[in-house]
Amino acid sequence: MPVLMPQTPHKDDLDETWTFLEKGIDSVMLKLEDGVDMQTYMALYTAVHNFCTSQKAIGTSQPTKTHHGAHLLGEELYKLLGEYLSRHLESVYCESEGHAEEALLAFYIREWQRYTTAAKYVNHLFRYLNRHWVKREIDEGKKHVYDVYTLHLVKWKDDFFLKVHKKVMDAVLNLVEKQRNGETIEQSQIKSIVDSFVSLGLDESDSTKSTLEVYRFYFEKPFIAATRVYYETESRQFVAENSVVEYMKKAEARLDEEKARVGLYLHPDISKHLTETCLDVLVTAHSELLRDEFQVLLDNERQEDLARMYSLLSRIKEGLDPLRTKFEAHVRKAGLAAVEKVAADGDSFEPKLYVDALLQVHTRYQSLVSEAFNGESEFVRSLDNACREFVNRNRICKSGSTKTPELLARYTDSLLKKGSKAAEESELEEMLVQIMTVFKYIEDKDVFQKFYSKMLAKRLVHVSSVSDDAETSMISKLKEACGFEYTNKLQRMFQDIQISKDLNGSYRDWQEKVLDDDDRKKLVDSHFQILGTGFWPLSAPSTDFLAPPEIVKTSERFQSFYFDKHNGRKLTWLWQLCKGEIKANYIKNTKVPYTFQVSTFQMGILLLFNEHDSLSYEDIQKATSLAPEILDPNLSIFLKAKVLLINPDGSKPEPGTSFSLNYNFKNKKIKVNLNIQIKSEQKVESDDTHKTIEEDRKLLLQSAIVRIMKSRKKMKHVQLVQEVIQQVKSRFPPKVPDIKKNIEALMEKDYIERLDGDEIAYIA
Amino acid sequence: MSEQTEQNAQVEQSAPQILTFCTNDNAILEVERDVAERSVLIRHLLEDLPASGQAIPLQMVNEAVMKKVIEWCRHHQKDPPSTGDDDDSRRKTTDIEEWDQKFMQVDQEMLFEIILAANFLDIKGLLDVGCKTVANMIKGKSPEEIRKTFNIQNDFTPEEEDQIRRENEWAEDR
Repeated sequence: MPVLMPQTPHKDDLDETWTFLEKGIDSVMLKLEDGVDMQTYMALYTAVHNFCTSQKAIGTSQPTKTHHGAHLLGEELYKLLGEYLSRHLESVYCESEGHAEEALLAFYIREWQRYTTAAKYVNHLFRYLNRHWVKREIDEGKKHVYDVYTLHLVKWKDDFFLKVHKKVMDAVLNLVEKQRNGETIEQSQIKSIVDSFVSLGLDESDSTKSTLEVYRFYFEKPFIAATRVYYETESRQFVAENSVVEYMKKAEARLDEEKARVGLYLHPDISKHLTETCLDVLVTAHSELLRDEFQVLLDNERQEDLARMYSLLSRIKEGLDPLRTKFEAHVRKAGLAAVEKVAADGDSFEPKLYVDALLQVHTRYQSLVSEAFNGESEFVRSLDNACREFVNRNRICKSGSTKTPELLARYTDSLLKKGSKAAEESELEEMLVQIMTVFKYIEDKDVFQKFYSKMLAKRLVHVSSVSDDAETSMISKLKEACGFEYTNKLQRMFQDIQISKDLNGSYRDWQEKVLDDDDRKKLVDSHFQILGTGFWPLSAPSTDFLAPPEIVKTSERFQSFYFDKHNGRKLTWLWQLCKGEIKANYIKNTKVPYTFQVSTFQMGILLLFNEHDSLSYEDIQKATSLAPEILDPNLSIFLKAKVLLINPDGSKPEPGTSFSLNYNFKNKKIKVNLNIQIKSEQKVESDDTHKTIEEDRKLLLQSAIVRIMKSRKKMKHVQLVQEVIQQVKSRFPPKVPDIKKNIEALMEKDYIERLDGDEIAYIA
Repeated sequence: MSEQTEQNAQVEQSAPQILTFCTNDNAILEVERDVAERSVLIRHLLEDLPASGQAIPLQMVNEAVMKKVIEWCRHHQKDPPSTGDDDDSRRKTTDIEEWDQKFMQVDQEMLFEIILAANFLDIKGLLDVGCKTVANMIKGKSPEEIRKTFNIQNDFTPEEEDQIRRENEWAEDR
């Protein structure tokens, strides 16, 4: 198989070599589609190789510069190639003059593709030049010498691109505007233009790297400017003719559209800039208008539109701040209005009604925050601020912010007490969680603690908790919210009840051993609770009481058992909390005797009638030594229930009256509960609790002051006040005059002293 | 040569594309495409031109040299592609691996022919090995010995020689 060796020019002859090469490049540049045969390809490569390796340079005026090392040939070829490209591009430019708009784009893209494909070929054919002469020039730091491919790009940019870029961009922008107006366009054209502009970004200092300079300057800049103008006009018109809600939809759609446009045919580099421009024109420029609509949307609960507004304004700088302020005010107003409604029916509302009103407002706006405002933390903060405001300061709390914690504690008590309506355990748990929601906002957490522990004490003493689990759950929630110290006493109360159960067990065992038959016959069934004085919010009875002998015997027996076990302890009987059941054997016309559930005080009164059928007021008072405030209401209960009859008939219990047993007592139930809480007691209790709060706060402030001074030794007065506020504010919001008063008090007690310069020192 | 047959067996399995070359002394040589593509020139040519089955004319290389080149390419077929021109560590050392040393044990004329062919075909690895071999031939020799080795005529005048020696005094080994 004979193979034709390609004919190559004489290697020493520049003119011959170039003429040969030009012909080859021409066919690559203009007729590549016809194909290049292998002979020509190899001949061209060989010609370049041969010229560059020829011993003798024929350059007309080759100056014998002193290179470092051997002299390399090729400069002439490089120069001639550059000149050839300039000529080629000049003719391309001339042809381009005949085109405009989309036709120009098509022409540009066609020429660009042809040119770059050819450039790749030529670069391969001239690889020998690249490897030696060009490399040497670049290594030696020559500017404006590029590898052959890059040379093509540089020439394109200088000799063609710079002459046509404006016209090309105008065509691109017209196309884009058409598309923005809803027409269908050939968007791949724009993509090709973008790619071409990007390719022209050459790093002057390192030809292997590219920059986006050309693209940014010649494409991005005009593109952004046109975008701005387009949307300025559009939005101005649209706003004039449509509602704000409609405009938000429009703006949202436009923003999405421009974002998609980047992916479709733009360079990702433009993304940030384009989005900023659109936001600036579509949102920032109209932000006042949008914000003015916010209140309207809130009033009408337009959650979807609120979400839309949020998403628009969240994207511009400080776009949401004014909304948060408005939102906070709105929620506060809604909260106050809800409370107002509850208060409208007077003071005698159920705590549940009040708590529910608070919760309802919170729930509504919390869901708005999470649904429409993306649960954004600043809005959550606004919601919290508003809730804290209306929870602590509203019409019902006008006498003071201690009202809400009291009501909340009462509501909690009503849930945790036996006989509450929340049947399901899960339902109850959910309600406890809601209580904690309100609790979180309460400033006077110490007040809640006070009332809560009072009511817990009652529930425990009277064994009236709905369930231990629910109680434990609530306490652990409080502990989580306020720390160990807050619930310490509550937990101790629980422990006491548990210990008491065990104690009663061992007391029964002890009784088995020591009691004789006679004792057993007169034995009263009993149960004792030992409550640690420091932990229970209970105080000794406010009245004297002579317990009936049956009870005295029982209690004394227990005491001797207890002191045996725990030497040196002191027991105080809290008669006011004790209760029992007595059987009424005296009543006629009944087969099964009635059982009365009574307090110990009531027991003391009724048992007197075991000896007498009728007793005067004075007799009863003397025998029980109860104070009239306790005695009178209890007698009234008996009269009302018709257990006792008064003489003279129809009068109130007071000195001079007398009482007799009603042998004809009748009731539907066999068990009759006479142990009813007396109204006045409840009121007194509440007042007492408020009073102790003031006392406790004083102690809390003083102990905080001492604690701080003990660790700091010396401190400025102002600083001390600040520290104290920091330390106690999780319990209640302290007033500065109160802190000052307590500092004075501690000075008088010589805990601390005043130094010069408004300083305070700790006295060890 | 057992190594080579083993490689052939491997290549045959994947049914390699065979290229034909025509050397300037009109010999026809068949080479697997993978082997021939060690030459950047050939790689580019195959990229740029549609497959034609025609013999590739090599105006600058004769049969004997081309066979040597092919031998080298086949041995180094699995080498990782050169990591570019800045592979200094490889360039600066004159160490040559054992196989290449043996490969380069040819007469001086053949050695230079191989170097020229490697330069033309753009086979960097082979060009490096060839140049290193020459460098090793020069290393440690006096100018007179070098002239003798490469059969170079001394065309310096004594004055010129004296000047060059003085200029390069710093590099003398003493």
